[in-house]
Amino acid sequence: MSAALPWTRRRATVVRAVGVVGVVGTALTVWLGLWVTSPDKVQGDLVRLVYLHPPIAWVALYLAFGTAALSSVLWLWPRTRSMFWDRLAVSAMEVGVVFTALTLVTGTLWGRPTWGVWWAWDARLTSTALLLVLQLGYLALRRVPTDPQARARRSAIAAVITAVDVPIVHFSVNWWHTLHQDATVLNANLSPTIHGSMAWTLLLGFVSITLVFLWLLAERYRIEVLSDDAAETSFESALAERWAEGGVAVDEPLADPEAGPRQPVRS
Amino acid sequence: MSYIAAGYATALSVLFSYGVALTARRRRLERAVMGAGEDGGAETRAAPR
Repeated sequence: MSAALPWTRRRATVVRAVGVVGVVGTALTVWLGLWVTSPDKVQGDLVRLVYLHPPIAWVALYLAFGTAALSSVLWLWPRTRSMFWDRLAVSAMEVGVVFTALTLVTGTLWGRPTWGVWWAWDARLTSTALLLVLQLGYLALRRVPTDPQARARRSAIAAVITAVDVPIVHFSVNWWHTLHQDATVLNANLSPTIHGSMAWTLLLGFVSITLVFLWLLAERYRIEVLSDDAAETSFESALAERWAEGGVAVDEPLADPEAGPRQPVRS
Repeated sequence: MSYIAAGYATALSVLFSYGVALTARRRRLERAVMGAGEDGGAETRAAPR
């Protein structure tokens, strides 16, 4: 404990710093997006939602889901198999659900005044909604009672299968050319069709929301570790109680080590 | 302007609430695990992995 504690504090400080910088950056993005930047020639003031919607979508689609899928592959790969990857995958997936839901909500709030409808069965919207359902399915699958290894295996397989939806979401605007506009920043030529204060505000939004995601991911990962510790501790406490019921001290040495684990004796 | 305000308000409030909820849950678990450690010698398991 004494060796682990300073490292824990250092890591907690880093996580807190990432969170603070992310929150301050997001506040700055809001200020620039709402009060400093000019309205767009075509979209008018609605362009202000663009400083928030694409950064949130970037986190939901690429960072969160990418982290979950990659972690799941690393868990499935025997050489890199570790519960670290399983915990990271579920943490990224849960945080990703929040960002995917926000992607849909902010997109809808932009789409209603722009397209005239709250929802359209557009390729990008539909594939993103499917992604949210798949993420919720993953989290539901994890709640099925089983041992940790089996849960990690089936979750990892589910995450890898559902990752197929990510390229569909990304390329949907190019493949089907439905209502949603083509990529502005991550387009085929990697030449953003946006410039000036708008581009810098959008870039700040991407960086800030990414930092917020990393902070939330670190917090969620820590919860996963602590939950496992709490479950282990409560199991050992229950075991100790069972031993105590038998009138035997837990740390009392075995009379016959060859006889195997001692069973509690009911009085 | 109401759509823009609704978008910003929803996104920021959800992210803020989720962050606060995660922090509170993490602190509660830390206290529980540390408390169990003091009672049953599980202190070392509170160290992160």
